Amino acid sequence: MSRFFANGSDSESESSEEEVQAPNFNKASAFQFSDDEEEVKRVVRSTKEKRYENLTSIIKTIRNHKKIKDIPNTLSSFEDLTRAYTKALPVISKEENGITPRFYIRCLAELEDFINEIWEDREGRRNLSKNNTKSLGTLRQKVRKYIKDFEEDLSRFREAPDQESEAEDEEAHVSDAGDAADDSDVGFKKELSVTAPKLAKSAPAKVVPADDDDSDDSIDWDSDTESETESSEDENQYQNMRERFLKRSTEKGEEKIGDEEKRKDKRKEQKLKIRKRAEDDEDGEWETVVKGHVVEKPKMFEKDAEIDIPLVLAKLVEIMSARGKKRTDRRLQIDLLFELRDISDQHNLGVPVSVKIHFNIISAIFDYNQKISEPMKMEHWALLLEVMQSMMKLLLANPDISISESVAEEHEEYAAAPFYIRGCPLAAVERLDDEFTKLLKECDPHSNDYVSRLKDEMNVVKTIELVLQYFEQCGNPNERCRIYLRKIEHLYYKFDPEVLKKKRGEVPATTATSVDVMDKLCKFIYAKDDTDRIRTRAILAHIYHHAMHDNWFQARDLVLMSHLQDNIDAADPATRILYNRMMANLGLCAFRQENVKDAHHCLVDLMVTGKPKELLAQGLLPQRQHERSAEQEKIEKQRQMPFHMHINLELLECVYLVSAMLLEIPYIAAHEFDARRRMISKTFYQQLRSSERQSLVGPPESMREHVVAAAKAMRCGNWQACANFIVNKKMNTKVWDLFYESDRVREMLVKFIKEESLRTYLFTYSNVYTSISIPSLAQMYELPVPKVHSIISKMIINEELMASLDDPSETVVMHRSEPSRLQALAMQFVDKVTNLVDVNEKVFDMKQGNFFQRGNMGNRGDRGYNRNQNNQGGNWGGQRRDNRNQRNRNQRGHHKNQQQQQQQQVQTIDEE
Amino acid sequence: MANRGGRHARTEDSDNTINYVQCDGLAVMKMVKHCHEESSNMDLAQGALLGLVVDKCLEITNCFPFPKSGDETMDEEMYQLTVMRRLRRVNVDHLHVGWYQSSDVGNSLSLALLESQYHYQTSIEESVVVVYDTQKSARGFLCLKAYRLTPQAIQMYKDGDFTPEAFRTLKVGYESLFAEIPIVIKNSPLTNIMMSELNELLPEDKGHNFLDLGTASVLENHMRSLIERVDELYQEAVRYNKYQQVVFKQDSDKNRALAKLAAENAVRTSKGEPTVAEEEVIKQFRPMPVPARLTATITSGQINTHSQHIAQFCSQSLAKLFITESLQNAKEAKEIK
Repeated sequence: MSRFFANGSDSESESSEEEVQAPNFNKASAFQFSDDEEEVKRVVRSTKEKRYENLTSIIKTIRNHKKIKDIPNTLSSFEDLTRAYTKALPVISKEENGITPRFYIRCLAELEDFINEIWEDREGRRNLSKNNTKSLGTLRQKVRKYIKDFEEDLSRFREAPDQESEAEDEEAHVSDAGDAADDSDVGFKKELSVTAPKLAKSAPAKVVPADDDDSDDSIDWDSDTESETESSEDENQYQNMRERFLKRSTEKGEEKIGDEEKRKDKRKEQKLKIRKRAEDDEDGEWETVVKGHVVEKPKMFEKDAEIDIPLVLAKLVEIMSARGKKRTDRRLQIDLLFELRDISDQHNLGVPVSVKIHFNIISAIFDYNQKISEPMKMEHWALLLEVMQSMMKLLLANPDISISESVAEEHEEYAAAPFYIRGCPLAAVERLDDEFTKLLKECDPHSNDYVSRLKDEMNVVKTIELVLQYFEQCGNPNERCRIYLRKIEHLYYKFDPEVLKKKRGEVPATTATSVDVMDKLCKFIYAKDDTDRIRTRAILAHIYHHAMHDNWFQARDLVLMSHLQDNIDAADPATRILYNRMMANLGLCAFRQENVKDAHHCLVDLMVTGKPKELLAQGLLPQRQHERSAEQEKIEKQRQMPFHMHINLELLECVYLVSAMLLEIPYIAAHEFDARRRMISKTFYQQLRSSERQSLVGPPESMREHVVAAAKAMRCGNWQACANFIVNKKMNTKVWDLFYESDRVREMLVKFIKEESLRTYLFTYSNVYTSISIPSLAQMYELPVPKVHSIISKMIINEELMASLDDPSETVVMHRSEPSRLQALAMQFVDKVTNLVDVNEKVFDMKQGNFFQRGNMGNRGDRGYNRNQNNQGGNWGGQRRDNRNQRNRNQRGHHKNQQQQQQQQVQTIDEE
Repeated sequence: MANRGGRHARTEDSDNTINYVQCDGLAVMKMVKHCHEESSNMDLAQGALLGLVVDKCLEITNCFPFPKSGDETMDEEMYQLTVMRRLRRVNVDHLHVGWYQSSDVGNSLSLALLESQYHYQTSIEESVVVVYDTQKSARGFLCLKAYRLTPQAIQMYKDGDFTPEAFRTLKVGYESLFAEIPIVIKNSPLTNIMMSELNELLPEDKGHNFLDLGTASVLENHMRSLIERVDELYQEAVRYNKYQQVVFKQDSDKNRALAKLAAENAVRTSKGEPTVAEEEVIKQFRPMPVPARLTATITSGQINTHSQHIAQFCSQSLAKLFITESLQNAKEAKEIK
């Protein structure tokens, strides 16, 4: 029977044929599948079958409970049922196009009737046990609430409870059985019980009946004979079953055909409706949905009324006055507005009226969705877009209409030019854009759905463009700024290869690129904007756009000039997110432009927190210990960026780690024994530490492991290994290929790795050399000799390397003035010991203070003891003070015996 | 304060169960082998010592390693008992007299060691812990030390009270937690004979391994751990200092409150009202928890041992230096001839 569902849309002849098979399948205890294909199919079917079976069995128990008025059990069964239904929902929506199975609706209807009946029967209710009454209340509430979702179906069902409007075998079967359940309950049970074990026992059943029916056949048939036997068996089965099912199947066969046609018609109708809807056709569409209700649509106008502007406007006001009221049918409202528009168009009431009505349609559609946090429906949005565009076209075509918020209601002018209309297309388009973003965020970014929705972005941009044109014609600077910002926000994150081509002179300099457009828009905003927010956002977007196109210096100068870093904390979250995005991109740009230090600087704030994902609004961190309430989470969700605007986090992290490595490793090497060494990058340090702590380090897998492995190679100056870890096939696909000109970036990287490795090498191993030849260093690092020369000179100038250059022999002569490792350690130790002594003295001082104070208080019983201590303390203090003086005299004094002893040892060692 | 860490002070206080440990060559070799093979940076090698107490001397005649702790299927106690039972069958001393452990540059005297030694010493009175330093021994300095807990330390651990007061009353200091017991390695005459024979076989210019002057790395390691310990101690001191400040503040608050109460009470008595007891006020100030001093003491002890190790190492190194010098001179003289 489920096969029937699966092929529901096939031709009628097929369906009738399958109808014959269906009952066979039901009785499959004697039925045999010998073909493999058949097996596979069966598995596919079984989920649905299982769900349905589950539903029917629950429905049956409900029915039984109802019969004995066991309300608590009915309640629990009802809960089971709803649960089972939710489970079955995907199957249902797949197999039956979302139409609720009729047997389910029937059950719901019956349940409702049952409850109402009991509820009405006050006498009987009083007699119910306490438990029953309680469950009755709950059940009633639950059912009522639940049924709301099925209202349409229910009403349709109630119209014709016995008519099999939806031709589904399952349903027919169940409803028949259900009807029969009262008198032949046993039969039904048997049927069900037969179906149940069949599923489980399908495998053994395969062999046993074969032996029964075709005992003379050998076991090793080839597939041909098998299928033959199968079909013959089919016939057998059919024969057997025929008597039982004869009447029904033939009957139903016919019925089925009819129904199938009906259904087809219906589907066509639906499709038609959708198309109609798209064409803004008003009648039919909304009506059919509410068919069940007897809501008569109010007549627009009296038949013979003279339709003129005031009348239409009055009607408009009348319709709109219902807006926002609780019982208003919002769909109907939209519907009426469309009708009104058509009427006004028919009667040539002029553009202004049409614009006004358009406007009201837009707000009505916005109203339709009541929850702001949830996106509106796709079709509504499309409708909205269309209305918006047509309105803007009207406005652009008729420059004598001025529409703005400043026009008061009573000053609206529709009859003669110049026309004045109250309204704000800017707000509408902004809302439209926001809704679009919400729609995008709502669907899965990896699906095709997302791509197809993203196609609509073009339309949004077009609409914005229309509005922008309109405001350029007649708008105050403020409004222009706002609409410019909208445009900028659609523009700034898009990469335009033309820009780079232009830079290289491949395209004539006159070509307008997105950077130019951005420049124009942003400069207008800088000049004219008086709200800080729009300007800030414009600057951020501008920097972002520059950074994206490798205009590092422009971007950097903009950042520095705007002093954004100082006051960004005061901005709203959305702007802060934009700031973070800008910083991330600026960092990437700096990296591409070989400014490793700047790249690190830009990214460090983002990465040091360990949650760049959250900072860039590209996803929420998993909830930990109820850090945020549901409310907060909702707000945060609203802030998220749509997927196509995301910045690749792995790329970001990799760039950050690599630049941190290039900075940190030479630094570590240079300051190996510095007690007060600071970390440049905490995150990178942690990565390095955690890798060092592992007892066994395998070959790198993830991006981070690669960078850490590279850092380790760099520590011993092995640039080749380091470069191999950073630039290889895995890392290319993971990270580097994401850059626009990845080859250039890779070359740059290798160059940097060579230089920094050389520096690290010199720092680490300079103490084992008396002199190093520069050419051999150049050979080692595959760098030109002058480059090596310059690097070493720089190190000497910066006093990082104690050495001098010997030009004739082309060598670096080490001066060996740095302390040896042991000496450095001893120095560090001295520092630590001094610290310790200081703290110890503090402890002592404290104790003295305590004693003094207690001694002074002197009103407690243990006065004598205190005084005693006091003396001692005084003595000690004296000693300590002496000690301290001594220490002051000879800077690294030897204070405690123990320490003295140790330092002597250190000195001995040094002497050695 | 002078010379608190001296050795003579230690032996006075310690109990007189054992005066020295006499270790068999076999047991030493087994320990050394096990420690070198099993110990790495992360985990330590441990094992049990077997032997007998004769008069005031603890003779260690055999030992066996504990299995690595990673294996959970093994029942350690069962394992130990089985091993001992089997050793008994082959007529080996089977009395459990302590345990041994490997260590890295003298980091051994930790809280964990104290705990386990406490359990050993409370169940087997004369048990010792032998600590073998792998790294230093690899550098040519055999480093085998036997430790016992002093009676004070046992008492302290039994009480579980690590406040400064408890330390003071028990007279426990960093130097009186562990008592080092001298180890004597004793070989049977047969072994000695074989050793001398082996010595004959050795070519003249070999066998100078023990003259390895690898001082730098050992010293560096010592310094590193010393720095770490000092850092720990520093932190402990800071903690204690903080505690003092808090207590001081609380005390002054309390005194102020008491003074206020006294004044109020004076007024009350003049009015003839009942006075409020001082206890009410005192109750409001709960005594602060005193920071435990055990870790600080142990760390001090470690610093002490480190210092001793360094001192010993340096003197040994100096001796070696002289030996090498004379050897070198002899060699050169020989070459000149």
